[in-house]
Amino acid sequence: MVTEEEISNVAKLMKIDLEDHTAHIKRVQKMLEYFDILDNANVESEEITVQETDLDKLRDDKHNPYDKNLLKFLKSYQGKYVKAPKLN
Amino acid sequence: MDLGISALNYVSSIKNGEFTVEEFTSKSLERISQVDEKLHAFLRVNDLAIKNAREIDTKIKSNQNVGKCYGMPISVKDNMCIEGSKTTCASKVLENFIAPYTSTVISKLNSEDAIIIGKTNMDEFAMGLSTEYSAYGPSRNPWNIDYVPGGSSGGSGVSVSANECIASLGSDTGGSIRNPASFCSVVGLKPTYGLVSRYGLVSYANSIEQIGPMTKTVEDSAFLLNIISGIDSNDNTTVDNKNQDYLNNIDAGISGKKIGIVTEMTNSEGLSTDVLNATNDAVKTFEKLGANCEQVSLQMIPYTVAAYYTITSTEAGSNLARYDNIRYGYEFDSSGFEFNSYISQARSKLGPEVIRRMILGGFVPSAGHAGKYFLKALKVKSKLIAEINHVFEKFDFLISPTVPIQPFKFGEKIQDPVSFMMIDFNTVTANLTGIPAISVPYKITNGLPIGIQIMANRLEEHSLLQTAYALEKTVDLPEVPV
Amino acid sequence: MTKIGLEIHCQLTKLESKLFCPCKADYREFEPNTNICPVCMGIPGSLPLLNKKAVEKATLIAMALDCKTPNKIAFFRKNYFYPDLPKNFQITQLNAYGNTSIGWEGKISVEDKEIKIRRIQLEEDPGRLIYEGATEKTKLTLVDYNRAGTPLVEIVTEPDFETPHQVREFLNILSDLLENLNVSDPGLEGAMRADANVSIEGGSKVEIKNIGSFHDLEKAVHFEITRQQSLAERKIEIIQETRHWDDGRKITVSARTKEEEAEYRYHLEADIPWVRINDNTKNQLRAQMPESISSKKERYVSKYGITSQVAGILSSDRYFSELFEKANNETNAKDIANMITTDIMGLLDTREKREMSKLEGDHISDLVEYIKSNKITRASAKLALDEVIKNGKQLSEIIEDLDLGHVSDEATLSDIITEVLDEEVKAVEDAKQNPDIVNFLVGKVMQKTHGKADPELTLTLLKKNLGL
Repeated sequence: MVTEEEISNVAKLMKIDLEDHTAHIKRVQKMLEYFDILDNANVESEEITVQETDLDKLRDDKHNPYDKNLLKFLKSYQGKYVKAPKLN
Repeated sequence: MDLGISALNYVSSIKNGEFTVEEFTSKSLERISQVDEKLHAFLRVNDLAIKNAREIDTKIKSNQNVGKCYGMPISVKDNMCIEGSKTTCASKVLENFIAPYTSTVISKLNSEDAIIIGKTNMDEFAMGLSTEYSAYGPSRNPWNIDYVPGGSSGGSGVSVSANECIASLGSDTGGSIRNPASFCSVVGLKPTYGLVSRYGLVSYANSIEQIGPMTKTVEDSAFLLNIISGIDSNDNTTVDNKNQDYLNNIDAGISGKKIGIVTEMTNSEGLSTDVLNATNDAVKTFEKLGANCEQVSLQMIPYTVAAYYTITSTEAGSNLARYDNIRYGYEFDSSGFEFNSYISQARSKLGPEVIRRMILGGFVPSAGHAGKYFLKALKVKSKLIAEINHVFEKFDFLISPTVPIQPFKFGEKIQDPVSFMMIDFNTVTANLTGIPAISVPYKITNGLPIGIQIMANRLEEHSLLQTAYALEKTVDLPEVPV
Repeated sequence: MTKIGLEIHCQLTKLESKLFCPCKADYREFEPNTNICPVCMGIPGSLPLLNKKAVEKATLIAMALDCKTPNKIAFFRKNYFYPDLPKNFQITQLNAYGNTSIGWEGKISVEDKEIKIRRIQLEEDPGRLIYEGATEKTKLTLVDYNRAGTPLVEIVTEPDFETPHQVREFLNILSDLLENLNVSDPGLEGAMRADANVSIEGGSKVEIKNIGSFHDLEKAVHFEITRQQSLAERKIEIIQETRHWDDGRKITVSARTKEEEAEYRYHLEADIPWVRINDNTKNQLRAQMPESISSKKERYVSKYGITSQVAGILSSDRYFSELFEKANNETNAKDIANMITTDIMGLLDTREKREMSKLEGDHISDLVEYIKSNKITRASAKLALDEVIKNGKQLSEIIEDLDLGHVSDEATLSDIITEVLDEEVKAVEDAKQNPDIVNFLVGKVMQKTHGKADPELTLTLLKKNLGL
């Protein structure tokens, strides 16, 4: 069973401040408990299949400048820079 | 003027001069202002709709080339970007997000002279199946406003069902088109993965989701699919459909086709008797139409819901990481904050279901737990694909109820997370395997709709629509009461 | 035994566009935040569009480093939050579901030692942070996203190096190799960056990050070995940690902040399908691959008799070896090679000069031919080179314009010789006793003709005049 502490650590990892873990913990625990059903699927030996494409379908290497001033569209900037909170 | 007409009838009426685009558009807007306070299908209505309508009328009058849509009002789920206007995903963290570009599907609609009448309500970031998780309040089912309309494309379903517009575009990650289509009694198609460009669709679980039409008739879905499908240089995952015409021979019938009734989806624990009865009835109808129906079982189906939630949480955890409120987002001054504490504060404005999915998405693919959850989920998906490939060697189509239950009351199901997840039981298979699936309105029982789901092999939309059309022609449903 | 391993990040600067969008790969010429678009800024709904040539160029690197290459390449998301990362994940590669990175298990020889390459992966560069004022006191972080999405190849070696000198040699060879492949310009600021890990006998592995240049890398490794040895001598435990290279003080310092939780939640990037690279494509790429530096050198020596030293200098430089190939008409290869390494390399010693230069292969082959046939002296040849580089005119035209041709007409030379003999009475007398003095008189004639007199004719005429 996943513990409240684990969930609170994951919330931290995912950068979400939880004022009240208890509101979520039971629900998340129940969902994870349900996921245990995957243990019965007996799929250990399966290969993972994915979508594929060919090299020649990919984008050609051409410079094509974006035609708008994207910086002006962004939320917070200072001069020519995007403003972010300080680190540490 | 009948606001409930199909897209194809709308086009012929406009061509015949029965009414103008402006007349129809203003009637639709009137309808929205009358009913939407109650239904809440729309988050925003397009202020320029009348202006657009007049422009198209001018084109028609002066015999210029007019696009296939002839100004028909189409609503769009609020997770598809339109340049210069808001796209919120029904989330508070994107309440001020204005897209700098237009999604491919909307560009295609615009170039066929559709009028985007407004953006529709949804569960926040498409995580949910009832619109109860919209940060702006739920939409209501036009068949009975005490009941949920389904989700996550609930607003789209309501808008079509309540005749607020002709058709809508939704997105489907685990049933988000088909579930509200079933609950609102409209047609909803989730296309083959890669058939429709996702460029401009705000990602939730990008490995399995697709945009698709929600319409009044099967023909209308074919009509819209003709417009929105095809390879897109802005989306590396799109596939070439060679400009297939999905309307062509849509009335070909299904005589001699082999249909598999998915056993796991017709005997599941949560299946309601009314829904089962309707499904059995549909099977008889298919047989009357000349198809051969038999039971087919897929071993992996019991694991699909767990696999689906594991994969979607993982991808959502990554796709939603960009909402750190630094480059775009809502007003929340960052000065004085340290980076981590700022974004953690900013992100706590995500709604409760999104927060839970973020936690799951941080947990199931993490180094210590990926083997138990995420990797197993991927393997279930792979094995399910192998099973589906095998089944389609024998069968042309698979059928099931779209949703195991009928629409439920607000707050009725949301309390128990596991039984809530199980409502997706019949729909997630098509997403995990990438195959197309459609929900066709089949019955109204106790005043609430029931839809039948038909699935086909990858890129078999054409025959899928023929089958859906054949079924649709056998039913005669009452008018929506709103 | 000391063990050193490297992780080298090399930008594919020879590409036109970024890894997943059509913004420019070389961001250096732009004002901050003007080389950005919805894709590299991770605007909701945007999708990455993989650059075909980036895959090809990265594969060339893998092939040149003798790596195994996959039949399908896959991309993964590495998830972590940082302001320079617009999506808060980096699209990179991982060999999680089989070997799907650009290359793996390669090798390269460095001073007769084989350095094994563990893995090569293609990934996107993040943006750049600019701190306002001193790092400690800064109230905010400013970000320039121009670099975000620049194609980057990460080359990870096994810990096979034993000395900082081997590291240096490896980096030199690698820079030359990347330049020769025409994938990168290692000279560009920030185009090549590296992290190192260092451990001495019995000690834990220490990572050194934040090393801005290859020059500093050697120093950092050297410093770190010395630091660890001195700890060991004093019986102090060497702890496993990450240290930063302090560029100002030229020392490594403990990163102090607690080790970033290594939880990247790697998973497949579904927006980019796995890319099939079949044998046919691989063969085509191999055929495109430029001749390796070592085989080029070998060819220069064996085919043209160029000295091993000159051949080495020439072959390791892409620009000058190309110039050599263009100039080489098979007859004067050795002289052409010498002219390039002794004269031209000095004149074109910076990238800017090379970019501006109008010098073509024909100029060089003509010039060598002129010198051989005595139409121009070596001294005049240098002046002519200067001029050709500036304006690219035909050699004959330049010789005429600057009047650099040999004075080889006997009458003119005789007049000048008479003048010299009149002026240098003493030398003339001495020369009659000591024939070596004649060379002094030849020099005087050269002075008067600004180096243009045909030296052989001058000598003959002088001897005749002096009755020698």
